[in-house]
Amino acid sequence: MGRYLLKRIPSALVVLVIASVVVFGILRLVPGDAATALAGPDASEESVAAIRRQLGLDQALAVQYVHWIGDLLRGDLGPSYAVGGEVADLIGEGFGATVELTLGALLLTIAIGLALGVLGATSRRRSVRGVVQALTTGALAVPPFVTGVLLVLVLAVGFAVLPSGGRVGLFEAPDLELQYLLLPALCLALPSAAVVGRYLKDSLQQAFSEDYIRTATAAGVSRRRLLWRHALPNALPPVVTLIGMQTGQLLGGAVLVEAIFAWPGLGQLAETGLTARDYPVVQDLLLLLVTVFVLVQLLTDVVHAWLDPRIRWE
Amino acid sequence: MTSTVSSAPAVRRGTAARHPYLAALTTTRARIGLVLVGAVVLAGLLAPLLSSHAPTAQSGRALVPPGTGGHLLGTDDLGRDLLSRLLYGIRTDLEVIALAVPIGALLGCAFALLAAVHPVLDTVVQRAFDLVLAFPGLILALAVTAILGPGRLPVIVVITLAEIPVFGRQLRAGILVQRERDYAVAARVGGTRRARLLIRHILPNCADPLVVQLAVSLTVAVFLEGAMSFLGVGVRPPEPTLGNSLSQALPYLSQAPYFAAGPLLIVTLLVLGLSLLSEALNRETRR
Repeated sequence: MGRYLLKRIPSALVVLVIASVVVFGILRLVPGDAATALAGPDASEESVAAIRRQLGLDQALAVQYVHWIGDLLRGDLGPSYAVGGEVADLIGEGFGATVELTLGALLLTIAIGLALGVLGATSRRRSVRGVVQALTTGALAVPPFVTGVLLVLVLAVGFAVLPSGGRVGLFEAPDLELQYLLLPALCLALPSAAVVGRYLKDSLQQAFSEDYIRTATAAGVSRRRLLWRHALPNALPPVVTLIGMQTGQLLGGAVLVEAIFAWPGLGQLAETGLTARDYPVVQDLLLLLVTVFVLVQLLTDVVHAWLDPRIRWE
Repeated sequence: MTSTVSSAPAVRRGTAARHPYLAALTTTRARIGLVLVGAVVLAGLLAPLLSSHAPTAQSGRALVPPGTGGHLLGTDDLGRDLLSRLLYGIRTDLEVIALAVPIGALLGCAFALLAAVHPVLDTVVQRAFDLVLAFPGLILALAVTAILGPGRLPVIVVITLAEIPVFGRQLRAGILVQRERDYAVAARVGGTRRARLLIRHILPNCADPLVVQLAVSLTVAVFLEGAMSFLGVGVRPPEPTLGNSLSQALPYLSQAPYFAAGPLLIVTLLVLGLSLLSEALNRETRR
């Protein structure tokens, strides 16, 4: 295991370092630098130059990069240019909302995925299996912005049982917040739930064809006990890895779902930052998102390697 | 006499052992998929014939319900004909997707072939793929539009960039397997040049998963176009796309639900058709 970590962690670090250079480079490639954007359209040459000096934009790129990374590591993200406030506060606020949405979606992914997988693999009715199959295919194929709009049309406009967008804050009004969270989390969770459900179904069917199940059936073990005590525990480990991988997907997908449901998370912040050309916000945000994504991937790989020794020796 | 009778099933077996792609297309699944995709594509291609209004012409009558004043699907918030916007929207999507996905697929395959030449190149290409994959699809979209600004070009660039590592990894995995097969070893021992072996012998044997991936990638492209429109970094209005038509309908869902109906239906039909096709191809090529 130690050997695997020694191989896997440096490669993740390399990806992160290159990603940070790319993110840093991206914003230097943008036509018109931050100082011009900040100074406004009628600013004189001198005032633009003054702002540039004040922000340290007149220094060499390498120096700017080192300053940026150094500040980041010390946790000093500095003030935002245009959105207003400290970058750290903005990102912290958005991060909370996005994590809440992602965790909500993760719970729904697990619940719906388990239900779809177990029903699809064990139901004796053809019609039930057909419905599960259709739901899975649909949820996998249809993009979240379509399901999002459909959910709003049916549950917020048609039946008017849930709000169509926005957020009140988990700590201010937990019961209300759950109502606001349900639609976006469901919209975000559906594709991942379909992936998990399909995989679990195959995994369960595989488990049900094993000898120990036949032996247990012959010994008179009930169907329910067969499923929960014998087949499911054996089918679950690869599904756990898959759920880990889906967490990364959920985080990426949250950006879109936030835009549909006006959820004030990191996606919304990125949108605002981009339109306002607020480089510190965008730069730090992109790096944060990539870092979290790479960490989730790393964690998933490590868990997978821990569960399956063959991977360690590849 | 008995010989002719017994040869009859053999002939039929001969026709049944057609190319797996053709066999896939005769399944019910694939036929439904083809009809769905074909209908949407046709509607996009025939947009100028099927619509009586220009997609950006404003009639002055905003949010008119379907069927009134010669607007079959009604009008949007700026009084533009929804049917025309839908048809021309399909057109824009098709143009973007038909350009971006093949370019991404070709570049991905080219990188995979390059990686197969030398272990050092392999490492470099692999790390480059890792780097792109470190940006989840939409974060990549935000990063690219930070440089290029919103519009049609960044949508194409984002779809292309997102597809390169997908195809590249798929093909690389195929090459690694095929390279150790007996026929490849035999060809190498027989003195076939490396480039020829790679392109004439190994590549055709890796094609099946790539074809399936192509169908999957088309769905991903529809998703990316729409998602970028929702994030406000997609193809710029007034030019209609399926994604931005839907995102423009978002504030009017309670007031005018028919505003969203067209793009909602078309996107669903298109992606369902594509995924039925890819599923049929996948089943048939895996036999």
